Amino acid sequence: MAVDPITFSIIRHRLYRVVDEAVITLKHVSGSAITNEGHDLMVSLYRADGSLLMGGVGFLHHLTSAAEACKSIIRRFEGRINEGDVFLLNDPYTAALHTSDIYLVAPIHHEGQLVAWSACFVHVYDIGAKNPGGFCPDAEDIYTEGFSSPGVRLVNGGELNQDVLDTLLNMVRSPEMVSLDMRSMIACNNVARERMLALVEKYGYPTVDEACGQLIEQSEARLRERLRELPDGTWESRQYLEVLDEVYKVNLRMTKQDDALVFDFTGSSPQSKYAVNCTKWASLGGLFAPLFPLICYDITWNEGCISPITMIAPEGTIVNCTRPAPVSVATVGAIQSVNNAACTTIGKMLQTSETYLKEATAVWHANHFAIFKFGRSQRGGEAIGIFTETFAGSGGARTYADGVDVGGEIPNPISRMANVETVENNFPIRYLFRRRMKDSGGPGKYRGGTGMEFAVVQHDSPDGGMNYVISGKGANFPMSEGLAGGYPGAPNSYVWVHNNETSDEGRNVDVRASLSVEEMPGEKEDVSWGVFPLMGEDALYVRWNGGGGYGDPLDRDPASVAEDVLSGVVSAEAAERVYGVVLGDGDHDFDPVATEKLRGDMRRSRLVAEAAE
Amino acid sequence: MSDPFSGSIHVTGSGNDRELGCRGCGRSLAKLGEPWKQNATMKEVPMQGAGGGAYDSAEHVVLRQFYCPGCGALLDSETAMTGDPFLNDVIKV
Repeated sequence: MAVDPITFSIIRHRLYRVVDEAVITLKHVSGSAITNEGHDLMVSLYRADGSLLMGGVGFLHHLTSAAEACKSIIRRFEGRINEGDVFLLNDPYTAALHTSDIYLVAPIHHEGQLVAWSACFVHVYDIGAKNPGGFCPDAEDIYTEGFSSPGVRLVNGGELNQDVLDTLLNMVRSPEMVSLDMRSMIACNNVARERMLALVEKYGYPTVDEACGQLIEQSEARLRERLRELPDGTWESRQYLEVLDEVYKVNLRMTKQDDALVFDFTGSSPQSKYAVNCTKWASLGGLFAPLFPLICYDITWNEGCISPITMIAPEGTIVNCTRPAPVSVATVGAIQSVNNAACTTIGKMLQTSETYLKEATAVWHANHFAIFKFGRSQRGGEAIGIFTETFAGSGGARTYADGVDVGGEIPNPISRMANVETVENNFPIRYLFRRRMKDSGGPGKYRGGTGMEFAVVQHDSPDGGMNYVISGKGANFPMSEGLAGGYPGAPNSYVWVHNNETSDEGRNVDVRASLSVEEMPGEKEDVSWGVFPLMGEDALYVRWNGGGGYGDPLDRDPASVAEDVLSGVVSAEAAERVYGVVLGDGDHDFDPVATEKLRGDMRRSRLVAEAAE
Repeated sequence: MSDPFSGSIHVTGSGNDRELGCRGCGRSLAKLGEPWKQNATMKEVPMQGAGGGAYDSAEHVVLRQFYCPGCGALLDSETAMTGDPFLNDVIKV
């Protein structure tokens, strides 16, 4: 019997709140900046069979992978899943994205019956891979990417299996921090279970179960109805992914027919010897990360959203690699390329409808960089931590407005970065600057949001500095594609500024207030993949991509271009050469007559090019 | 009344005569259901020089720009390595 609409709505919102409260718990207990500051996390609820019931916030490509984790645990531990258990799974060839994103999945029992699962992940402080921090550019295979389990019982009937935890902690750097990560996820699952059981106690399991079933049916019906409103068609996108001298492609053709979507990655590159590959579960999650917020923005994210979607990912390719290919950089490698490619095709599809035109967007922050600094802190303890700036992102332009500067990313609606003071307090480094990056937003009628640039030096380090592991990509290829003619956002850049890295013991280095990377003394070397020092008076300079633009830059309001120049996010040179705007003498000024003439000349020159070719 | 194909291209006509056309000047680009890019004016520029200074590290890649042959409006852009096929988008209604 159908649940009445009011009770249905209350249960639906209670499920949201269960997830929200579990996320808060995760953050409160974890001591890791990547969790608390970067929000590299996820919590969701699943039905008794492991299917997605309520997708939570955080990195959305985990919603479907954690469903597979639940299903895998159900298969592996059939008949041995008990009340109060918590299972650990982080094997990418079973369900996880990479080894350092550990899933803890927990059955929820009511009166002895399995009624649901909660699942969460954090990127743990370390996983014992060849390189500190989990991203492992030096990995040759999965065996060098640290601890990996297809499923192990971490908590047995409410009692921690200390031997299992000790086995994990024995294999990782900074075990005390990893232990805190694990306890944060256990606490998170405990809160999810308690709140879920409170819901069941209040309304009774039959009513809650019926409402959950209805909720999934509702999501599927609403998504299929939405797809039927859009025209049938095919849309294509392509991403380039470089590692050192190798270039890989992720090709996508998305086909919409009636009320279903097919994402076909045929033609993507063979799997790589480098750890940028991803498994099929990761690719599936990767395409859902933009699909949930862009198409299902007002639909509950659950199994009903998954049913109308099919993925084709040929085995042995970079988007469906085979064991033992390394995958530790997948989340900033092939998975993110899948995110970007799907964002592009979805945006193209949405702009074919007046109804959904405003939901279309150019690609946001397409180009994560994983840079983990490691060494001894100014207090003498071991310190490993990502530069959380990678989570700050940049907004893609919409069909009606500019992208938001440093505006985050589509696959993680709550991503953010730590403030400078927090980083300087926890690591022996100093920032020389951190600010919006000029000309990084993709030009267009609506400009992509800017990325940023920053530079750091070591400071007060007991060892003369630190080292860092970098898994950087996108320095040679822009990845935030534009829409309707909008340019892609500018690419990333990573520069090691050599400056006497063998100097004194490293304490109280004279930090120069350099205003730009060009002003910094020392030889400059592009770096992107491996382990490098930040010693003596060395500096590390990083800039990251802007979002893609929308439409023709010659259609951009000249006053907006002049304002961008004034605020330092567009150069005067780009204003004239790309946007066709002739600036005036005043701060907000542009010359309307000269601008109109220049834009007319530029449009005509576009057609002259045809004759020349 | 026309339907959008993108921010720069719309669908005109009716029945079997429907076409894709430039939103700016109405220039026909292709029959509905067929690729249109080969009928546009295409220009490839090195990505390094396409935008402002922040694009200076974008080696080995070009920005393809597809212009309306009628009015010079920029209809679409795509990132490509030389020789890669066009990204074709087709709708069928």
